[in-house]
Amino acid sequence: MRHAHVKGGVPCMPLLSSAVVLCLFLSGCSGFPAAREMGDMALLRTLGVDTAAAGVAVTGSTGPRARGLQAEGEPALTLSADRASLSAACLAMQDQSDSFVFFGYVDQLLIGEALAEEGVRPVLDYFSRDAELGLGAQLWLVRGGSARDALAAGGDEGVDSRLETIQNDSKMGIASLTRTAGEVYADLLELGSAYVPALSPAGKGEAVLTERGYGILKGDVLAGCLEGEAARGLELLAGGTLADILDVELPESRASVRVTSACTKSCLVFQGDGLSVLRLTCKAEARLTEYERRPAGGELERLQAELEERERARIEAALKQLQAWGADCTGLGAAAGMFHPAGWQRIQVDWPERFSRVPVEITVQINLNS
Amino acid sequence: MSRRSEADAPHPRQEPRLPGALSLERLEEVFTDCADFAKREVYLHGDSARRAAVCYIDGQARSERLNDYVLRPLAQDPMLASVPEGELFGLMERGALYAHGAKRETELDPAVFALIDGSCALFLEGRDDCLIFPVATEEKRSVGEPENEPALKGARDSFVESLRTNTSLVRRRLRAPELKIKEHVVGRQSLTPVDVLWIDGIADPDTVALLEERLDAIDIDGVEAAGNLEEYLVDAARSPFPLMPFTQRPDRFCQGLLEGRVGLLADGLPLGWLLPGTIDQFFKTGQDRAYHWLAASALSVIRWLCALITLLVPGLYIALVTFHPEAIPPRLALSIVAAKQEVPFSTIFEVLIMLLAFEVIQEAGLRLPGPIGATVSILGGLVVGNAAVEAHIVSPAVLIAVAIAGVAGYTMPSQDFGNALRLWRFLLAILASLGGLTGMALGCAGLIVHLAGLESFGVPYLAPFTTGTRVPRGHPSLFRLPLPMMKWRDGPIQTQNRRNQK
Repeated sequence: MRHAHVKGGVPCMPLLSSAVVLCLFLSGCSGFPAAREMGDMALLRTLGVDTAAAGVAVTGSTGPRARGLQAEGEPALTLSADRASLSAACLAMQDQSDSFVFFGYVDQLLIGEALAEEGVRPVLDYFSRDAELGLGAQLWLVRGGSARDALAAGGDEGVDSRLETIQNDSKMGIASLTRTAGEVYADLLELGSAYVPALSPAGKGEAVLTERGYGILKGDVLAGCLEGEAARGLELLAGGTLADILDVELPESRASVRVTSACTKSCLVFQGDGLSVLRLTCKAEARLTEYERRPAGGELERLQAELEERERARIEAALKQLQAWGADCTGLGAAAGMFHPAGWQRIQVDWPERFSRVPVEITVQINLNS
Repeated sequence: MSRRSEADAPHPRQEPRLPGALSLERLEEVFTDCADFAKREVYLHGDSARRAAVCYIDGQARSERLNDYVLRPLAQDPMLASVPEGELFGLMERGALYAHGAKRETELDPAVFALIDGSCALFLEGRDDCLIFPVATEEKRSVGEPENEPALKGARDSFVESLRTNTSLVRRRLRAPELKIKEHVVGRQSLTPVDVLWIDGIADPDTVALLEERLDAIDIDGVEAAGNLEEYLVDAARSPFPLMPFTQRPDRFCQGLLEGRVGLLADGLPLGWLLPGTIDQFFKTGQDRAYHWLAASALSVIRWLCALITLLVPGLYIALVTFHPEAIPPRLALSIVAAKQEVPFSTIFEVLIMLLAFEVIQEAGLRLPGPIGATVSILGGLVVGNAAVEAHIVSPAVLIAVAIAGVAGYTMPSQDFGNALRLWRFLLAILASLGGLTGMALGCAGLIVHLAGLESFGVPYLAPFTTGTRVPRGHPSLFRLPLPMMKWRDGPIQTQNRRNQK
């Protein structure tokens, strides 16, 4: 591949034309982005959305801020506005600050229970369309109060660090499952239902946000909430890492067991053209954490059986509620349908109704590492 | 050069420069007003009837050699006084004098240039021709360590200013007679010998011919700097990127010859070029083959990474902080916001000024003697930088970004390539100031187009990455494979024999 002459890369007309076309493509034919100095920005970290008489009430918090090289601490900046629409409220918040309010760092989205009962879709739509906001924010349902109250509960420190802690704990398996707005939105669009981790402020004054199970969205409205054993059952169905210790009373001693992982597989069993049963197999790994006397032999088997029974009861409690609401929010039907595409195609349209009625067989297998 | 019109073509170099027959008078006329021209008249063995004149250039000829090998036999050898005059000249040509060479000259031009090269001319009374004896001085800088390419594990000799010493350094390493050395003279006034070196049977004859053709086409006054050759041999004016990689190390030069490249050495320049130049050559060091292949590969990847860092970091900083803050991790963004609040200048201005300040400090450090240069660097880099941050003139993040880019640039083995990256760093920073990441992407696309358009002696500059499907490729450029696996010479440089080992 020899060339006759040594040439330099001199731009010529075709090259310039290509550069202009490339420029248009790169900029999405919308011109270059606008410049903005970061020193003049208030970075909102948490956004709360509630219903209000005017339409929606939006509250934003920056979290603790720093100023100058020594990073002297400044209290969290909290802005709020009630307007007919989310975009109007966000625009109104710009007027309340002496800095440019930047929404690009909102990674915690709190939704009040009242708004969830009316429907979360407009909020998720707005997040998906806005240039600064995105569906990567963690979504939380505030139970027993408004998102504005929950944000106020953080005081000068804000609530974003608490929410980040829960999020990180969840990844490590010591807090309940977390979900991004995108995951919830995708579930709502694909499954017709979704689960959202729920929080509520505990204590008076600067309260601490504590986990309170999961809110179940059907369509885009809040169908109900799962708490306690039912919430644990949902975690088993969702296959997330569990933040739970099971204390088991044995005939001659007691032991504490930690379920470290779980995986639930679903299977649709058809009889003729009709769906006869939804079979669930939950396999979990558990580890003995405490015991008075090391269980062995028959005692170990009894412990295992007790654990399996407890987990089965949890799944049943969760499924009972979910079937009552017709909300297959963990996608059991869709996952099973992948192995029976023809049968799934027949029942997919009215799956929520069928899910409410279908008999469920639950098998729990626990592998206990002593 | 090929584009020059006939009208613009330089007038041809006069050959011979001093036409006509040789005579002592004409020689003296040529060197009129030359204080270093010397003529010594001697009687052969004290016989005043037999006179000889020895001409030489003082400083070019070595006194000891002149005295011992020429003047002493002339004065003391009785045979010179006894033989018939007609045989005297022939006798001296064939060994009566002790010089290792003797050449009879009848033309003025070669005699003049022989004197300039350090020979002496012996004239006998009554004859116009002369005998030329090489008695040139060998005063020159001794072979030392390569300062720009230090060797931790390898040969420590370096090219010097003497061309013949340099060719001998190469010849000692490549003893095969296939090593060919062809000399050309460049420069109307400097008449600098420039040698083309290649290994016959390995190097591409077309590249050798092309190089020789271009060398012969150079018509300049003198070769006093590397650019006097580089800018005439390749189309360097259109690109800041170097197209002729060079080295100070004879071992690396020989390795290049073994890979099938064509070498170029010029008298007076302590370096050697290896042609054609492709981009990977500027990322290689003389130590690559000395280290373990894993370590050498890791270092090679780091160098490529540093090239990207030095090129992109300032522009990326401007683009992210000014146009796309959402792409910065939140905690870092909070730090930047906190530090930026009290800085009065825009980020764009900050970065461009800091880049400029970095170049100024570097240039000041280079121009001063070593210890003072280091002091200026410390004062400029640490004290002024720290003071600027504390006075809220610049934010610390900008200082860090510019410093990282600057330090990463120092990992480039080729200073020329590093300089090109520094220029493009400015350009990309300006484009990022105009259009954020879009401007950066556009600039990067432009850079790739520019690099893809470059060629060095007919070989694409990006050849290691962009050779066509019909062109045999060499070994990976980013990594250094174990040497037993590197059995092939680079395909794009068109070696005659691609296999380099069993």
